[in-house]
Amino acid sequence: MFKKILFATSASLASDYAARVAFDMAQRYDAHMTIFHVLGVPTRGYSQVVLDVKTGEKIELDDEYVSWVEEEIKTYYSRQLETAGDFEIKIVVGFPHREILREARDSHPDLVIMGGSTEDEGVSVYKKSMVGSTLQRVAKSVGCPILIVNRPAASFWGGMSSVVFGTDFSKASDAAFKFSLKVVQALDCELHIFHALDISDLHLGKLMTQDQIETKIRESLKRIRGRYIKKLVKGQDYSFDVWEGIPYIEIVKYAREKQADLIVMAHHTRKMDAEDKRLGSNIEQVIVRAGCPVISINK
Amino acid sequence: MPEGTLCNKKPIETEEALKALLADKSGKVYYEEMKSLEIDDKLLWKTIQNTLKSRLRTWLKICAHCGMCADSCFLYLINDRDPKQVPAYKIQATLGEIVRRKGKVDNDFMHMAMETAWAKCTCCNRCGMYCPHGIDMGIMFGYLRGLLYQQGFVPWEMKIGAGMHRVYRAQMDVTDEDFVETFEWMIEEYEDDYPGLEVPVDKEGADIMYTVNAREVKHYPEDLAEAGILFHLAGENWTVPSKGWEQTSLAMFAGDWAACKMQVESVYEAMERLKPKRMVGTECGHAHRATVIEGPYWAGRKNGKPPAESIHYVEWVAEALRTGKLKIDPAKRIKRQVTLQDSCNYIRNNGLKEVTREIMSYMVEPGYFVEMTPNKEHNYCCGGGGGFNGIGIFRPQRNKALITKRDQILNSGAELVIAPCHNCWDAIRDLEEEYKIGIEWSFLKPLLISMVEVPEHLQAKE
Repeated sequence: MFKKILFATSASLASDYAARVAFDMAQRYDAHMTIFHVLGVPTRGYSQVVLDVKTGEKIELDDEYVSWVEEEIKTYYSRQLETAGDFEIKIVVGFPHREILREARDSHPDLVIMGGSTEDEGVSVYKKSMVGSTLQRVAKSVGCPILIVNRPAASFWGGMSSVVFGTDFSKASDAAFKFSLKVVQALDCELHIFHALDISDLHLGKLMTQDQIETKIRESLKRIRGRYIKKLVKGQDYSFDVWEGIPYIEIVKYAREKQADLIVMAHHTRKMDAEDKRLGSNIEQVIVRAGCPVISINK
Repeated sequence: MPEGTLCNKKPIETEEALKALLADKSGKVYYEEMKSLEIDDKLLWKTIQNTLKSRLRTWLKICAHCGMCADSCFLYLINDRDPKQVPAYKIQATLGEIVRRKGKVDNDFMHMAMETAWAKCTCCNRCGMYCPHGIDMGIMFGYLRGLLYQQGFVPWEMKIGAGMHRVYRAQMDVTDEDFVETFEWMIEEYEDDYPGLEVPVDKEGADIMYTVNAREVKHYPEDLAEAGILFHLAGENWTVPSKGWEQTSLAMFAGDWAACKMQVESVYEAMERLKPKRMVGTECGHAHRATVIEGPYWAGRKNGKPPAESIHYVEWVAEALRTGKLKIDPAKRIKRQVTLQDSCNYIRNNGLKEVTREIMSYMVEPGYFVEMTPNKEHNYCCGGGGGFNGIGIFRPQRNKALITKRDQILNSGAELVIAPCHNCWDAIRDLEEEYKIGIEWSFLKPLLISMVEVPEHLQAKE
């Protein structure tokens, strides 16, 4: 099910954990991998100067420079490439999120893999001119599942055996469930279905009594049974649970307990708020915090 | 060697020629060849006799060398009041001299004229407002650029830009298919957020035909989506042409008069084909000047007007806010110091100063809008106008020119600069990059989207 992987990389520290997962998956599932790098942001309109995203330098683009960057990438991933199977390196110029989306739209990969934020590597001017990070923008709009690795994915080395599906019972979550089902069937994994009852917003207004919380938990468990469990195939190894708390914290805790190799969630943050440049929604917080890769599905 | 392989008097006509020129990194070979490019003085003089009309001839003659224009020129001020930066001097020493010598000028002279025309004047037309005789050096430099282009003395990027228009009818290598495809792609990305959002292509008789800047298509197509969303929320009956969608004209910056005509005619043909009530162009200054103000004359239109009434994006926004087609949520208005960049090309050149301020009155919480000094029709060029932004060999001069705008912004105390013009937006981005003064800058569209109310029947349902 992962035959075509688009690995979008900054070829720097921010993509290192993702690189491990990407190369490992490509090899394990015998996939064709496109190592995709957006070299620079066009600057000064119609001039031929671009700003190298990695070094921040202004450069005049030509074939020579592109092949130099390609060599750099090959060197950066030399160890992984030694054993890599079917791969290609693509280097383009543009705004990273837009070019990743363009490539994903043109080549229809089964999966896009990306690292966490490059934010710590210095804020260049182009980032200020856009709302939201590259990751946020790609996750919002990409037409296929996107796998994000922000922290070292320790348990990944053994392949995938435990998948956590986090739901908020939205339509987008249904799509994420469908995808989770495909993954667990194809890769023969356990499936853990989880919902977190959000009590964080309630602090301000009123305090829920424990009875109320527990009633809600029972309701949610019932919903999981009705909505998802019925659709599992026979023999599927599964569990499900509902915990109360701050949703993203609870999901990360739950995944840790289940020794998850993968978290699947829906991404349906509609608007990107100019005021809130931090990763805002639950899934974005999960991505930042989880100890395993997170797959985001937006439709 | 009279003609170079890359630097010559021939315009770019084919994709191959364009690629060959682009492959010459930084125009190295191009500028080398320019050093031995011969001047066809007969052609030059003949062209002057045919095209230098009474207005420009009079202007050249009646200049009293009074120096009133000096202080009006930001390039004079920023370059330590160098007498060689006085507008009257600049034009007399170049165009004036060519005319006096009846076209008999040499290669060194043409190099000097090229630098003067593209690095010492942004065609902002500010001097014309201060000259007691009303002599507008910006217009004369526009004319001089035409002569220089004809003789092959034009900056590398400008030759490429004009070539793009000739080959693609767009300032970048964006085909008609790319344009439609990209617009549709953007609608796909946003249709879940805005149910019913669509891009009507080639719809006849629409109220609005929208035209854009190819860079939006190529690099930040979100701008297309934002335009579509705002028309959608305002309930407009709009369309985009599948051909003739590019409103800009680097050919105008380059002085490639023939390409100017070709480009603008492609837009007029779209108007004639689709018969919209009005054309609305994107947030670009020179595109408006090229297509709406100067274009009709390039195309030989007797009434001096495009085939359909044509307005700038800011005019549409002001109208939509005024009539209530777009409503701003008062809670979301801008509540920090914000200023406005007046684009020379539609403020000084098309009198839209009150329209943009009307928009500010809706978008900004009272008390937070601050003016730059000077402002409105007296405002200074962003520092990168007239092609200055894009020319590599004149980058140091351009960066120095940005200091004027930098200090204007700093003195205003604004944290955010609204720049409804691509060139100004670029220049302000570049000045932040160069001088890091900690400001933000924006077009109108993303700000509007973050604060307009979505009518109930258009809201997304979860």
